[in-house]
Amino acid sequence: MKRIYSKIGLIAAALSLHTGGALAEEFLVGAEIPLTGAMARVGAGMQEGISVAVDVFNRTNGKHTVKVITADDESAPAKAIAAVEKLAGQGVVAITGGYGSNNISPASDAANKLGLPYITSGGVDDNLTARGYKTFFRINNTAGYQKAVMGLLDEMKVKSVSVIFSTKEATADLAKDVQKELAAKGAAVGMHAFDPAITDFKPILNKVRLQDKPEAILMVGYENDYVGILRAAKVLKPDVKAVIGVWSLATPKMAADFPDLMPSVYGTALLPFPAEFRTEDGKLFAETYKRLFNKEPDYLGQFGYVQSMILFEAIARAADKGTLKKGGVAEELAKTDRDTLIGRVRFNDKGDNINFVHRMGQHQDGKIAIVWPSDAATGKMNFPGVPW
Amino acid sequence: MSELILQALYSGVLQGGSYALVALGLALVFGTMKVINLAHGELVLLAAYMAYMVESKLGLSPMFAIPVALVLVCTCAVLVYFLVGLIRKDRELNSLILTYGIGIILTNAVLLIWSADVRSTSSAWLQEAVVVGPFYSMRSELVFFAVAAILMAGLWWWLSKSWYGRAVRAVSSNRDAAKLMGINPRTTEIVSFVVAGILASFAGIAIFSYGVIQPAFGHALTVKAFIITVLAGIGSIPGVMVGGLLLGVAEALTVTLASSALQELVGMALFLLVLFLMPNGLFGAAARRG
Repeated sequence: MKRIYSKIGLIAAALSLHTGGALAEEFLVGAEIPLTGAMARVGAGMQEGISVAVDVFNRTNGKHTVKVITADDESAPAKAIAAVEKLAGQGVVAITGGYGSNNISPASDAANKLGLPYITSGGVDDNLTARGYKTFFRINNTAGYQKAVMGLLDEMKVKSVSVIFSTKEATADLAKDVQKELAAKGAAVGMHAFDPAITDFKPILNKVRLQDKPEAILMVGYENDYVGILRAAKVLKPDVKAVIGVWSLATPKMAADFPDLMPSVYGTALLPFPAEFRTEDGKLFAETYKRLFNKEPDYLGQFGYVQSMILFEAIARAADKGTLKKGGVAEELAKTDRDTLIGRVRFNDKGDNINFVHRMGQHQDGKIAIVWPSDAATGKMNFPGVPW
Repeated sequence: MSELILQALYSGVLQGGSYALVALGLALVFGTMKVINLAHGELVLLAAYMAYMVESKLGLSPMFAIPVALVLVCTCAVLVYFLVGLIRKDRELNSLILTYGIGIILTNAVLLIWSADVRSTSSAWLQEAVVVGPFYSMRSELVFFAVAAILMAGLWWWLSKSWYGRAVRAVSSNRDAAKLMGINPRTTEIVSFVVAGILASFAGIAIFSYGVIQPAFGHALTVKAFIITVLAGIGSIPGVMVGGLLLGVAEALTVTLASSALQELVGMALFLLVLFLMPNGLFGAAARRG
């Protein structure tokens, strides 16, 4: 008799859970990232953030867990499509990752055709969101970087800027947007595009020095470009008041690897270095990151973490509502409205985070101080100041 | 404007010397065996990472990496030779696929060992600015331009005056006839691969000393070296120097007078123009006979 009651009890419990659509489950999530090829460095950084998100989510959700399957897109658009299709074949419910707008575009196309939500922080090209896909979400964008750069330049009150930018899509777009805004404000702007294959920046810096004679130099490129430009600038010593960059520049890694090139250089930065996390979420992220990777968190990890946590939470909500296989993940992502390590995230109808605004940091004595906006500042701007 | 052009010419010459140094090894193997070693850029990169290791782990100048790089890169070059030697049919074509594959393996090995981070020297001495009138450069650029010139002169002397150098040229001209003269073609080919390894070692250390390295950089080096080799004309060492300088100056002038966005286009246009007007390259066999 006792056994019959216990069986009835188990069946009742199972039925009650089923009708609520809330069985604890493990969900497969795909991570399409460049782990080899030209973007291996940034891909590896994003992967670290995704791993931290998995660890934190599985420890804190209390009900659901996620398992991430990673596919290397080899920094190539065709391989990015193949990676998404492979992940779909393995049964993932959504995809996090992607780096480089030219890879993200075809990869998210493929995901959209397969009905898989795709969330990224690796591509800022406006065309990505202009497609209007209901499955595509992005937590950062050109506008957020532009606001930060323009905010800093406004505070510096500089009247002339030379923009040295890579001809890659995202960098060229940002450079042109900044140029338009500066020109509209009456500033003199010299534009200098460079091929990503360039190794000697002296001819460009010489044009800046002798022809433009600007008050500030803005670099829009990647780590290797910044090193090349700053090296050339240290040789030619143009008479400027500030050297500003965008992503991948105001990072602990650059401070440690190139201490001679970084003093007083500005770049976008979410956090100061040494990092100060004030929120519970931030402290959890930092503690997990240090435990998993035994180093200070960087911005790539933070973006990878935020995009993945938002996705995992949306999956959990869709599972609880029983809409996981009816487009529920994309619907839940669209409803996202929460504070994160990169500020409040809320998507518009095209999947772009309308609240994204970056901060500007400055390398100061081997550390990074946030110098813009003033309400987030952790240090005073060292202006004028250059590395030479 | 004249100051800009003078600096562009100066930068172009220094850059051209660097290009020529990278291309020399590829040109030598191409000239000797008619094998395009598509892993040559990765061998150069391997030497660059040796320089990084010596500087970051031992705290020594990248120059001290020369012996380590020579051993490692020459060993790898000889391994490439033995693998190419295993090809029995259509060696010229199949070696392309084989060496391309070796390049991918080396790139990923570098990625695995040293990660994808950007690396460059932190030596203040090498980075110091040297200013002579309107000419600006880093000390490392001048040092390695001189090294490139010395190596090129040494290679030219070795190929034209030494017994092994003549043997390399003989095997390159006619393998069977060279055999009849008592030359062992295999030994000669190994020697040419070792010399290519020596040149790649110096090129790698040079690149680390004034540039930036990343695992995916090797392929771009091979492409540049291949363009210069064809531009020069097969087997011509002075041609490699002239080809490198021509490309370097053309790129620097393009950056100065137009835009860097066009520099690769101008390089390729120059390459096609020379091939169109002089199918054997600037100093190719037909031109020399003519």
